[in-house]
Formats: sequence, structure tokens, C-alpha cells
Amino acid sequence: MWRARHNLRVFRFVVAILVAFSLAPFYVLYSTQNSAMALDGTASDPFQESRGKLVVLVFVRTDCPVSNRYAPAIQRISAKYEGQAAFWLVYPDRSESAEKIRQHEREYKYKLPALRDPQLVLVKLAQARVTPEVAVFDASRHLAYHGRIDNLYQDLGRARHAPTTHELEEAIQAVLNGRTPPASAPGAGCFISDLE
Amino acid sequence: MTRSVRTLMVILGICFAVAAAASQKDAVPARLPAIPEQRVTFNRDIAPILYHSCAMCHRPGEAAPFPLLSYKDAKSHARQIAAVTQRHFMPPWLPEPGELKFADELRLTAGQIALFQKWVDQGAEEGEPSDLPPAPKFVAGWQLGQPDQVIKAEKPFVLPASGSDMYWNFIFRTPVDRTRWLKAIEIRPGDKRVVHHANILVDRAQTARRQEAQPGAGFAGMEIKIASETFDPDSHFFFWKPGTVPLPEPDGMSLRLDKDTDLVLNIHLQPSGKQEAIQPSLGLYFTEQPATLHPVLLQLENDRLLDIPPGDKNFLVIDDFILPIDVDLLAIYPHAHYLGREMQALATLPDGSVKTLIHIRHWDLNWQAVYRYASPVALPKGTTVTMRYIYDNSDQNTANPNDPPKRVVAGNRSSDEMAHLWLQVLPRALPDSAIDPRRILQESMARHTIEKNPADFEAQYNLGAMLQARGASDEALQHFALAVRLRPQDAVANNALGAVLLATGRTAEAILHFSAALTLQPDNFDAHYNLANALALQGQFREAIVHYGAAIRLRPDDASAEANLGAALAEAGHFPEAKLHLERALRINPQQELARDNLAEVNRTLNNPHP
Repeated sequence: MWRARHNLRVFRFVVAILVAFSLAPFYVLYSTQNSAMALDGTASDPFQESRGKLVVLVFVRTDCPVSNRYAPAIQRISAKYEGQAAFWLVYPDRSESAEKIRQHEREYKYKLPALRDPQLVLVKLAQARVTPEVAVFDASRHLAYHGRIDNLYQDLGRARHAPTTHELEEAIQAVLNGRTPPASAPGAGCFISDLE
Repeated sequence: MTRSVRTLMVILGICFAVAAAASQKDAVPARLPAIPEQRVTFNRDIAPILYHSCAMCHRPGEAAPFPLLSYKDAKSHARQIAAVTQRHFMPPWLPEPGELKFADELRLTAGQIALFQKWVDQGAEEGEPSDLPPAPKFVAGWQLGQPDQVIKAEKPFVLPASGSDMYWNFIFRTPVDRTRWLKAIEIRPGDKRVVHHANILVDRAQTARRQEAQPGAGFAGMEIKIASETFDPDSHFFFWKPGTVPLPEPDGMSLRLDKDTDLVLNIHLQPSGKQEAIQPSLGLYFTEQPATLHPVLLQLENDRLLDIPPGDKNFLVIDDFILPIDVDLLAIYPHAHYLGREMQALATLPDGSVKTLIHIRHWDLNWQAVYRYASPVALPKGTTVTMRYIYDNSDQNTANPNDPPKRVVAGNRSSDEMAHLWLQVLPRALPDSAIDPRRILQESMARHTIEKNPADFEAQYNLGAMLQARGASDEALQHFALAVRLRPQDAVANNALGAVLLATGRTAEAILHFSAALTLQPDNFDAHYNLANALALQGQFREAIVHYGAAIRLRPDDASAEANLGAALAEAGHFPEAKLHLERALRINPQQELARDNLAEVNRTLNNPHP
């Protein structure tokens, strides 16, 4: 009996790894206990579901005024690259319920799929520090750019009238055209580490 | 025949208004842990600071984007709190600490700021429940209680989801049918999360509504100008910024609100990422006590010097004004646009000592405010008040509206610049109680403006009007003449010049200017009335009758015009018609003595056709 149980455990363990590999063969190992989630509560792998496109993760919070002010810009850029880049909104605050996120999407007229990232799996993967920051992954799922969307904010409370650099768009175009993406530039906003 | 001259029209600049005050008054000292090793906790150390200095905005329904009332609230923004307090971005408070204290200062001490960082570094712990002070109590709804009357903007303004900051003006038709006195106005700006600040301007002559495309629609613009037809320098600040509770005016300083006065609410809006409909309300609180104290707004400015080359990081603008009488300074409102960097106001007293009235090292238009002194600052006659502003038109100024920087000059658009400093002062009574100290101040201000810029039409006009009002006709004449030379196409200035000429016996010249005024503005009542008087004085009654008639068509309820028309008709021999108009004058104003005397004379003539 004891051996049988032991075998069973080993067997299940192996299956879990295989499943993870089949979901993301080149990158993250996902398990149901340790992954981002779609709003319906199921595990979700944006890389798997964005097959063929580059992946852009946009980190936001429902109560971060800086990321909220970016909503129209995020929506506009995602629409512009619709055919080439899959955009995902990532909400790292574990206290934000699926219902709260749906309401937030409605209020700010987001038309992007949203993920909850309570374990901060995607946050770590993207090296995101604040909301809003973005991460651009190329077709081989390497992190090509992470950081601010543009330089609208020089610091908290210090916004320009309009941005003068556009790192997110530059990064997308660089990846699409095989050029070197811009260097990572930190965003100004709400610290994700406050959510740990 | 009356010779009343109706010309006094003091064009006032923008009068901003206040009632800035935070809700809690006692400063909370930094509660540094008594034992050096003691760990910083939310309950013991952080909550008292948040309750005192943050919660008035960081609570549901208020301006801040998230509440800071519980441990959970604070924990999920802990690093952010440490970062924004270290940068002095929060709580928003621009003035540097100094000798003079403002009411309700929102400044954190260095110790409090350090405490936030230490709390984060030590793991942002909650601490003992017994250490938690009682939660702050806030008044729900109207902060001063149910207003005597609430007026709501007729139409909402829809703020777009994105874009740069916007300024919108709502015009409120006041609901009083007689003169009332206000002790407070509470501004409910609409969605507090997008409204950065709001100002009320008192528009006694309904001049702002001319800018509305349709009645009630409001209009865009950061700076607006209000004209006034009377000498009415009483000035109150009614200003709203997030987290403030309106402060009722001190005893004796109530604000007069006449029938047909408009209140113009100028609000600064910042798009939030979603579309918002903004429909503010004003709560009016009346008092039976008329004003006995009359504060005045003094404006230092030097917009003419604003011609800032691109790239200039240290463009200095100065203005000095010497107080002609003793005053008490109540509040101060510095104002520049996006290139302003450092602002200072200094008072050099007659004994040579210097007081810093305000010093803002890092100006931020987003957090502009009216600052009220904790207690009035006595400034004796002879004090020089100095405004010293530094502008940064380089690309290192994040707020620079131009990329790349370009030449910027003075103007009303937010991308133009301004160098204004408003002081609300209460003049002390003069030994000769017959002289209104407000007039001395206003006249000094106008002379000061003209010294800086002799080509300032409004200052020349205003000084002329003030001089005329105190009977200094010869000097008034000079300034009205200069005003007309500066703007020959201005009907009001031509009329004013004509009026002084008429008053000093230069009737023929007066007629030329009244006629010019009417060519420029055929529906100018004053010019018709004054021209008719001048013509009558020269015995040209038939022509005078025409212009009295025109004046009456413009204002059918003007007793003086009716009385003078009656007099002119009588002079021209049209007695039955004269009788009609004199009787009408008396119906409008039974106290019109001249009409009564003239009517008696006309009746005698009618009853006795062949004397």
C-alpha cells in the first residue's frame, strides 16, 4: 500500500511538469497553484494564448491614478498594433476581485483581456516595479523591453503636457522590425511591492 | 436740469476668492519611537499622521484616488506614501516654512517623513490594536451644514477621458431678489477626483455671461476678466482645493450679493482616463449682518516684462509697491502658469526689517492655492511689498508646455505666462474718517500700474474714474484723454472723457466725444444721455430731445432721463408732451425733485397759456 501511494505521488508529480511544459515549452513553468488567472478564475497563460503575436503585458491597478490616466493611451496603442501584438492587462493586487476588475474595465473603456496576478508571477517575469509599466516579449518569449509606456510622468506628481518619448511603441516596432529595443526606463506610479 | 454723469466704470482684474482651510487644526508632532529600538507601527506611529494630514482627502467620496483610513489601505500604498512624502508631492503644500504661519498648514515635519520610510524599511507592521487612535470624524455632505440656498450649474461640462489640463467657467445666476449678505459660500465642485481647484469671481455687471455660446453653457479659459460699473473694491477670496472646508468670513466681512449678480466658478480639471460630467453646486449661507469691514485685493504684477527666451532657466520678474496707508494682510495668492519656478513675496518695513510673506521654492500650478495667514500681518504705511518670481523656460522644466521650448510672453491662455500676486488686505481707518482708505489704495495701485506701463488703457481709465469720483476733474481729464488716445475706438472711454469735459464746461469738445462714443456703440445709454445733456446746455433742445428719447428706449425705467426729456420738451415749447414725461419720471421715482418742480412750472404754463 505504502509503495503504491508513493508511486501515485511520483506519477502525479511527473504529469504536472509535463502539463506545464506543454503550455509553455520555452519559458515559464506554470501550475494551477502558481499562475496568472483569467477573470473566470481559471489559470491563464498569456504566452500560450497569444500564439504568433508578440506579447505586451500592461500592469495596472484599479486605484492607481497614474495607470488610470493612461487608459486611453493604452487602449489606443493596443488597437494600433492589434494584428501584431497581443495586449494583456495585468492586475497584481490580490485584493482586487474579478468583479471589481470587470467594473474597472467598463469604466475606463478597456477592450483588452484582463489577468489577475495575485502570486506576482507575471510581475516577476516582466520585472515590473510600478503600475503602469509594460513588458514586451518577442516571438521567442524573451523580454525585449520593460518599463514605462512613455515619459508623460517624470516623477509622481510631475506630469508633462504631453509625452516626448514613446518607449512602448518604439519597443513594439523594434521587435517587429528586428531592431534593438529601447533600454529599460522605469515608470512613475504605484509600487507593486506595496502589494506583497 | 440734472447733470448727472454716468461714467464710473472701474474695470477690475480678476478677483479670486478664498475659503481655504483644512479640516483639522492642531499640528501633530512626529511621534518618533521613544526607545530607539522600538519598531515603527501603523497603529502607534503612522495612523495619527494619516488621520491628521491625509485622511481629509484620502477617504471615500473625496478627491484622493484611494482611502488611507485603515492598516490595509496604508499597507497597500506604503512605499508610495514614503516616496511621495519624501518628494514633498504629498500632502500638497507649496510654501516653505517661515516666520509667518498660514492657517491650516499641511506640511509634514522631517521627522514624520522619515517615519514613513522607517515603517516601510521595517516591514510596514500593524502593531498593537490598543495603540490605534480613534478614527477621525468627518462631516458628511455640506461641510457648513445645510446651506440657506443651493444653486446648481445649469448644464454639466463633459471632461474628455484624456488630454492635458482644462479650465472651465460656470456661471451661476444668483437667486436673490434683493441685496443680501453672505457669510460663506461652499463650493461643491462636482467629481472631486478630476477637479484640482476652483475659484469664485463675483460678477456684478453680468459681463462674463457674454462669453457663453448659449445661456448656461459656460465657457473655457483659465483667466477671465470681470468688469464692474461701480467703485466696488471689496474683495473676498472664495477658493476650493481638495480637502478644504470652507471658512466662513470673519465677523463684519460679509459679502454683498445683489439681485442680478452672477457668481462665476472657474475650475481646473485634469482628465482621469475616463469621461466625466462635471456639474458643480454652490451652497450659500446668508447673514443679516452687512459688511462693516472692507478688505481690498491688491495686485502686484509685471506681465509686461514677461518675454522669456527659450532655454532660459532663470528669468526674473519683479514688482514693488509702496503701501500708502496702514493695512493688515489677511491672505495671499501667488499666481503664475507652467514656467513659474520660484516665487517670493517680501515686505520691507519702514524700519528696514524684511518679512517673507511667502516663499514657494518649487511652484506647481496644479496645487495653486490661496493662503490665509494664521493671524493678520500688520504692514505699516511706507512698507514696500515686493513680488519676485523666477521662470524656467528650459526643457528641464517638466511642466513646460512647449517641446522644444519656445519664446513665451504674457497672456491668458495656460501656455502663456503670468506674474501676479494678490494680497487681501484690510485697510486701517484714516485719521480723517471722511476719506475712504480703499480709495487711497486703489488710486495708488492705478498710479503704480501706470508708472510701469503708461500705455495700460485700463489703468489710465480706472485712475481717471477714481479721480473724477473724488472731484479731481482736471487730473481725471488727463487720464481719460490718455485712455482715449490709447483706444480711440473705445465707446466707454470716449463717453467718460466727454463727461469730464462737460463737467469742466468744455461742452463743445464733450459733444465730439459723446458723438464718437455713439458712432462706436449706438446703444450706449450713457452717451445718449450725456450728449442730450450737453446739447440741452447749448440750447439745442430739438437735438437733445432725440437723444433723451434714444436713452429712454434703452432704459425705459430711468427717472432722470424722463425728467430731462420733460425739461427739454418744455424748453422747446411742447408742454403737453413735457407734462407726460415729467409725470412718468415721478411715477418711476416720486423723489425726483427736479421733475416735480418742472412739472409744477409746466402745469402753470398750461393753465395760463398767455402769461
